[in-house]
Amino acid sequence: MMENRGNAIIEIQNVSKVYRSRGALFGLRAKDVVALRQVSLKIYKGEIFGLVGESGSGKTTVGRLIVGLEEITSGDIFLDQENVTGLKGKAMKAFRRKVQMIFQDPYQSLNPQRSVLDTVTEPLAIHRIGRSSDRKEMVHKALKAVGLSPPEIFFYRYPHRLSGGQRQRVAIARAMVLNPEFVIADEPTSMLDASISAQIFNILLKMRGTFDVTQMFITHSLAAARYLCDRVAVIYRGKVMEVGSGETIIHNPKHPYTQALIDALPKFRSSGAIQRYGTLLTEERQVDLEQVGCPFYPRCAVADETRCGRETPELILLDEGHYVACFQL
Amino acid sequence: MALLEVEDLCIDYKTKSGYLKAVDGVSFTLEKGESLGFVGESGCGKTTIGLGLMGMLPPNGVVRKGRILFEGEDLLRMSAEEMRQVRWRKIAMIFQAAMNALNPVQRVGEQVAEAMLVHNPSLGKHKALKAVEELFELVGLQTDRIRDYPHQYSGGMKQRAIIAMALACRPALIIADEPTTALDVIVQDQILAEIRALQKEFNIGIIFISHDISIVADMCHDIGIMYAGQLVEYGPREDVFDSPAHPYTRALLSSFPTLTGKKTDLVPIAGETPDLVHPPKGCRFYDRCPEQIPLCREKVSQWVALSPRHKALCCRCEMDGR
Repeated sequence: MMENRGNAIIEIQNVSKVYRSRGALFGLRAKDVVALRQVSLKIYKGEIFGLVGESGSGKTTVGRLIVGLEEITSGDIFLDQENVTGLKGKAMKAFRRKVQMIFQDPYQSLNPQRSVLDTVTEPLAIHRIGRSSDRKEMVHKALKAVGLSPPEIFFYRYPHRLSGGQRQRVAIARAMVLNPEFVIADEPTSMLDASISAQIFNILLKMRGTFDVTQMFITHSLAAARYLCDRVAVIYRGKVMEVGSGETIIHNPKHPYTQALIDALPKFRSSGAIQRYGTLLTEERQVDLEQVGCPFYPRCAVADETRCGRETPELILLDEGHYVACFQL
Repeated sequence: MALLEVEDLCIDYKTKSGYLKAVDGVSFTLEKGESLGFVGESGCGKTTIGLGLMGMLPPNGVVRKGRILFEGEDLLRMSAEEMRQVRWRKIAMIFQAAMNALNPVQRVGEQVAEAMLVHNPSLGKHKALKAVEELFELVGLQTDRIRDYPHQYSGGMKQRAIIAMALACRPALIIADEPTTALDVIVQDQILAEIRALQKEFNIGIIFISHDISIVADMCHDIGIMYAGQLVEYGPREDVFDSPAHPYTRALLSSFPTLTGKKTDLVPIAGETPDLVHPPKGCRFYDRCPEQIPLCREKVSQWVALSPRHKALCCRCEMDGR
């Protein structure tokens, strides 16, 4: 996407990720799992970018590759126009100060043996920011910003004494205390109840204002993405299918897969008013593993075999800011 | 006669710090072929109700009082053996993430047949496998996959197999506890459609338990909103969702992101659920309620009828007459 909308803070170019299995016991043929295929995305400064996909679509992999938790198979990632692919050592450490991640499960992402103060201070200590007296002040500020107030009463609490929502706030504070430029939130509310999720959504929105931080929000819920995000990318089996504003994706989806997603949403209150497409899904077509084609080809009712089954569609610009990867438009 | 009539059901869990009142004074009825959905957040007692109906509470769970009339008979007065006759044969349950409970080293078809044979040994293995074939067709599984092992199935297929198992004895009531939570949206939609069709075909009563309002709204005739062990609002889905009366129901609805409407509308519910070992004397939602008045803290909330079938457990509703 070559569109110029100010500066892209994060740009990923043709990123692929293949998980190689070493082959089963007794030397059966090894199978490679392609988690991402040639994904390119630009995330602009100050926006909240949503990455929506079902389980196994590769959405979490995108996040993990950006922060460098996993090694990229091919492609490049840029932060502020600087290539940050495969950083090591000191350079990696400097990068991590700018790019942080909030994980899905706050019951697992917090160390049960560390108090809230220790947990949130740790990144400051690792990056040698401030003297220890200043650090307490910074932690205080971060906890307050995520709505854990008064922060003092949480300082010496351990995770087991926090509710799920409180834990996730601590995780957000830990990411924000470094004042990063870019934060990836990977399904931060999937373990939480609806009423608590709304609190977390609102905190993320507030973070953009108070910390001037750009965010990528990874989710399986279109409704949540619409609420939080400026732009949304829909990903399916490792390939970006459609990119556009939240409203565009929900009210004017063009990719058959996005339409099928909208169709599948429960008809509930006002969502009953959403246009449905009656997208037909076919029985899973058998595809040759070697053959590349549209990832949705096996289930797509409008696909044609000669093209969709053999070539991979690239994202094309359909309308301002609206990209779709489909031959059948 | 109603298929199921639950009166003043109270279930406690024995914990180190005392009895936790997981379900407190819940009453509802379900007619044959109808569906009822329980919505609430984690810890509100919705799963406990399901387990209570099945007579499958964990060892520290006790039914303190109440009646569960199933086809006119009180399940709570039945002996273990009598209950065994009812369980699965008449009341089946689809458990949360049950697809992970399939035995990995046994063929799926055999596992479904086993469910049948346990309750009807005279059937014989051959006939049971024949019946499994029919069940597979019913739930939309290809019959040539009967001899496959669970790992050869996708998540959606496993869930279908679990539904087949629940249908194996043609029960009159199915309790579905978050049957689609682990599934993707498109697969979820297909499974829900399947459940709806089967319900209609066999006139099964369904109790649907979920934290996802949208699914319950899509699936059920009647809705019960639960909070901290109590039913707080109950009625036909249109009434509950279009004119919610209890402040909790309203708060829950406005904290749920939707696909239309203004983006700024999402309002979280402040605070946390109360301690159920020592529940508050008055309304359990008092601390978090935007409409609280001093009276709510003291007075035990009473049911207020809003229409013949729609009611709410709330002091404010009683006063305002809404």
